Amino acid sequence: MNATTTLRNRSWAPDAARVEGAVKVYGSPDSADTAVTALDGVSVGFPAGRFTAIMGPSGSGKSTLTHCAAGLDTLTSGSAYIGDTELGSLDDRRLTLLRRDRVGFVFQAFNLVPTLTVAENITLPMDLAGRRFDQDGLEWTDALIDVVGLRDRLHHRPAELSGGQQQRVAVARAFAGRPDVVFADEPTGNLDSRSGEEVLGLLGRAVREMDRTVVMVTHDPVAAAHADEVVFLADGRLVDRMEAPTADKVLDRLKAFDTRSAPPSEGGPS
Amino acid sequence: MSATGPRGAAGHGRPAESRGAALGAALRISLTSLRGHKRRFAGTFLAVLLGVAFLAGTLVMGDTLRASFDTMFGNATRGTDAVVRSENTITTPGESQGVRRNVDTALVDRIEKVPGVAAAVPSIQGAGQLIGKDGDPIGGQGPPTLAGNWITDPELNAYRLSEGRAPARSGEVVVNRGAAETGDLKIGDTTTLRTPDPVKVTIVGLATFGGEDGMAQTTFTGMTQADAEKYLMPKPGEAATVQVRAGPGTGQQELVDALTPVLPKGVEAITGQESAEENSDMISGQFLTLFTTFLLVFSGIALLVATFSIHNTFAIVVAQRTRENALLRALGASRRQVTASTLTEAVVVAVVASVAGLAGGIGIAAGLQALFPVIGFPFPEGDLVISGTSMLLPLAVGVVVCVASALLPAVRAGRTAPLAALRETAVDQSGTSRARAVAGAALALAAVALTLVGVLASPSIWLAGTGAVLALAAFVVLGPVASSRAVRFLGGPLERMRGVTGSLARRNALRSPKRTAATASALMIGVAVVSLFTVFGASLKATMDQTVSRSFAGDVAVSTPSFGAGGSGLSPRLAPAIAERPEVATAVGLGRGVAEVDGEGRALTVTDPIALANSFNLGKVEGSLSDLGDDGIAITRKEADKQHLKVGDKAELAFTDGKKDAFSVRAVYGQSELAGDYVITRDAWAPHRGQDSDTLVSVTFKDGVDAADGKAAVSEVAKAYGDPEVQTRDEYAQSAAGGIDMMLTLVYALLALAVLIALLGIANTLTLAVHERTRELGLLRAVGQTRGQLRAMVRWESVLVAAFGTVGGLALGGFLGWVLVKASDGASDSAFAFALPPTQLAVVALVGLAAGALAGLRPARRAARLDVLRAIATE
Repeated sequence: MNATTTLRNRSWAPDAARVEGAVKVYGSPDSADTAVTALDGVSVGFPAGRFTAIMGPSGSGKSTLTHCAAGLDTLTSGSAYIGDTELGSLDDRRLTLLRRDRVGFVFQAFNLVPTLTVAENITLPMDLAGRRFDQDGLEWTDALIDVVGLRDRLHHRPAELSGGQQQRVAVARAFAGRPDVVFADEPTGNLDSRSGEEVLGLLGRAVREMDRTVVMVTHDPVAAAHADEVVFLADGRLVDRMEAPTADKVLDRLKAFDTRSAPPSEGGPS
Repeated sequence: MSATGPRGAAGHGRPAESRGAALGAALRISLTSLRGHKRRFAGTFLAVLLGVAFLAGTLVMGDTLRASFDTMFGNATRGTDAVVRSENTITTPGESQGVRRNVDTALVDRIEKVPGVAAAVPSIQGAGQLIGKDGDPIGGQGPPTLAGNWITDPELNAYRLSEGRAPARSGEVVVNRGAAETGDLKIGDTTTLRTPDPVKVTIVGLATFGGEDGMAQTTFTGMTQADAEKYLMPKPGEAATVQVRAGPGTGQQELVDALTPVLPKGVEAITGQESAEENSDMISGQFLTLFTTFLLVFSGIALLVATFSIHNTFAIVVAQRTRENALLRALGASRRQVTASTLTEAVVVAVVASVAGLAGGIGIAAGLQALFPVIGFPFPEGDLVISGTSMLLPLAVGVVVCVASALLPAVRAGRTAPLAALRETAVDQSGTSRARAVAGAALALAAVALTLVGVLASPSIWLAGTGAVLALAAFVVLGPVASSRAVRFLGGPLERMRGVTGSLARRNALRSPKRTAATASALMIGVAVVSLFTVFGASLKATMDQTVSRSFAGDVAVSTPSFGAGGSGLSPRLAPAIAERPEVATAVGLGRGVAEVDGEGRALTVTDPIALANSFNLGKVEGSLSDLGDDGIAITRKEADKQHLKVGDKAELAFTDGKKDAFSVRAVYGQSELAGDYVITRDAWAPHRGQDSDTLVSVTFKDGVDAADGKAAVSEVAKAYGDPEVQTRDEYAQSAAGGIDMMLTLVYALLALAVLIALLGIANTLTLAVHERTRELGLLRAVGQTRGQLRAMVRWESVLVAAFGTVGGLALGGFLGWVLVKASDGASDSAFAFALPPTQLAVVALVGLAAGALAGLRPARRAARLDVLRAIATE
């Protein structure tokens, strides 16, 4: 039931997003007592057209890495790129525009604006950009709506949808602007296994059938198995990569952390 | 049955014991939560503080002023032990002060012979307006401009010489220091005193009253006794009162008792103390009561507006704390404890804010005390009078308003189901319920029906007033229903204009109709009162305009400034002098007299009836105005109906001099505006008159005379009579309405407070909403909303809420203004015109919207400062 391995030959593809020597220290860097180093010199690229999962125990820096790579947060040192754009050189406004135009997001929960309908939520980033829909864009959005299977729910409010449906809307929203890369932070963390499977399936299809790029943080080996590749973080460092993951292989790798290096963890969302 | 008794008692005993501890827990919870969320209550705190401060300030200032006036009059007249004056006064409707007959100065000799009397002097009082150095009259815009004899016995003179000397020769005067300063006059200057005939006077001394520059803003000119009798009394040998000083060992009451037997019928003696109190009360009555009532009404409005803001804050806080309260309930807290904990918060906020408000109120009063002299109002010195009432009342009002506003939210907090802890916070949709719409519509219908009946069918202030109150209630009940529709409608263009930002703003304003309505209600009431006054003011102006254009047939008018307040009037010799000019066809002067007609005080118009008919449109006239003679009167149709009089009937007029004469009604005319209800000839009035003056001279030019030439000719004549202002018909109508603008300016200044409180409410609600929507805002930022777009979104939401409040307020204010105008029309003799001033109302609307944008600034800035990641992570 693992993801297909046929796309491994695309590892030569340029990186849609990458970080180099990424360091993130929370709290005052002056006082060693309160400072927490979340990322400790991570360099990793996320190739275009690939589905990459980031795994690691709680506190390993998974979420921090995606936030910094996606331009939601800034690095203490090192650099993050979306395509060829270095994020550290952008001011808040340019960073916002970059997120709007070139990056998509799926969060664990609260992905939708409650006052907007499903359709309006999907087109929100484009609407914020004041972008007119060309024929191409309309077709793309239309196809997307069919892929996520929400055509009969377009004019409903988020509150009228189930959790799984809400996450599917979030996935549609993330891809609607045809961004360079979509970051998903524990997208199935709040869902039952069936709904979660649907959302992961959607992400996988978007990569394989629509040639998109997805970076997903998860602590669930089954979810990670949908990816083309898994990168493992521990204590803010990149410790391993795994091509063509399966749930069993990922689980074994994680168990190795527990016994070898990493402190025991409950495996909760980080 | 009997078994339940003891058990019940026991059951009562235990909880009662633990209830103390339980409430203690509630108190602890509320105090902790208050400390944790100080910011949330900032708006509530300020609203209560402002309302209480205004109320307390008004009360303290009122008390202080009253006490100061008492002290001032007490000081000024300390040497006067008794005042002898005539008993009767005639008070006409709408006047606070009656007209009192003069006494004979021959009384002075008789009084001086009474044992125990050390001195007695006649006191002459009349109107006299000084002309300042720049040629403009001093005062005359409200406070009286007095003239009298300079009493040489310093003990009996309320004024003290501060510089110079007393007048010794005819033409020499002492003026109060305040008036001299206003008119830039110094000792040795020569100027004109209008009595109303211009008298050339030389200032030889400056005087103070009770140690101050003057008696409030009243001006005083002291002349020699001969001058005063000549210019201020109808004939020599009369005085307004006789002031008496007692010899050593004679008390005030003893003196009065000794005086009473020697006084002729109709003349009385009162103690000096009574006289001072009367004078002080008169000033308090005329000025302070009006002033304080005015301010109290506005603090009431401010507190009413505050009620909405406070209710809203607590409602939101309770809604935000649903999970916390549910958790408390699940852990075993009783409803009562949860309710009590919210109410305790309200009480703490109320007490702290009210106490701060009291301090603020004292500050306001002290500030005004310091400010009054600066703006030329000699505030008598003295400490602030802080009475128990002026502290306890605002405190009580502040606490009651705050706690009552928090009551409903507190009860709602108590009703939180323990299970709510597990649910997502529900969306508040209750505002749009059908029952509310129906109840609101019924209320609105009842309000309109009552008002219409009260205004149109059977005019009654009570019906109309009840209708107006119901209309307000209907607006509040319908608010949430209306807010959805109104915001949807008002926000329509916004969505087209501002795209998704506008759309989000509009939908945010639609999220909680109740909250939007309550927020807007505060502004609505403020705007409603502003528009009410605007509409009423404009209607009054239109009424004046209509009155002048309908009844004034002259080409120019010479009138005293404002409506008869202060000033000295016009010389009765002005009209005949003007009539002699070749350009002038007729010039008629109107004087004012008083008499009792069948026991009720009435104002008389003293004039030449034939010329009057030429210059004023009197409507349909029955009988003839041409031969009133000295025993005839003309009256309006309305008075004729009221008194059951018709042409040929006799009416008995009682004058201030105690004489009663039967007059025959020779004419009944239709329109009373400007001309008054009773017309009497100068000959008939002459024996009973006091100081002789006219209030208005109406001039008609001969055919073919250019308006400017005619006006110039009249002005030239007027120059010799103290140079009163000559106005064209339009100018006359406008000056008649001038007082209204002044009143409106004051009202607007005071209402700014209510609007400010409403704005605090909007800002507070939005700040809380921003806090509530932290995650949503974070999401929007994450998916690409720029800070600017986020700010715009919050700002526009604020503008939409304000727009709803403003539109509602304009509608309500316009309606209430119409009711007020129509009710006044029905209740008074004169016809009222209704006018909607489009420019002013547009300005009100713009101010409302701008205020909304302003209120949204801070919440918008706070929202834009949100850290995206923190916002997303917030649970």
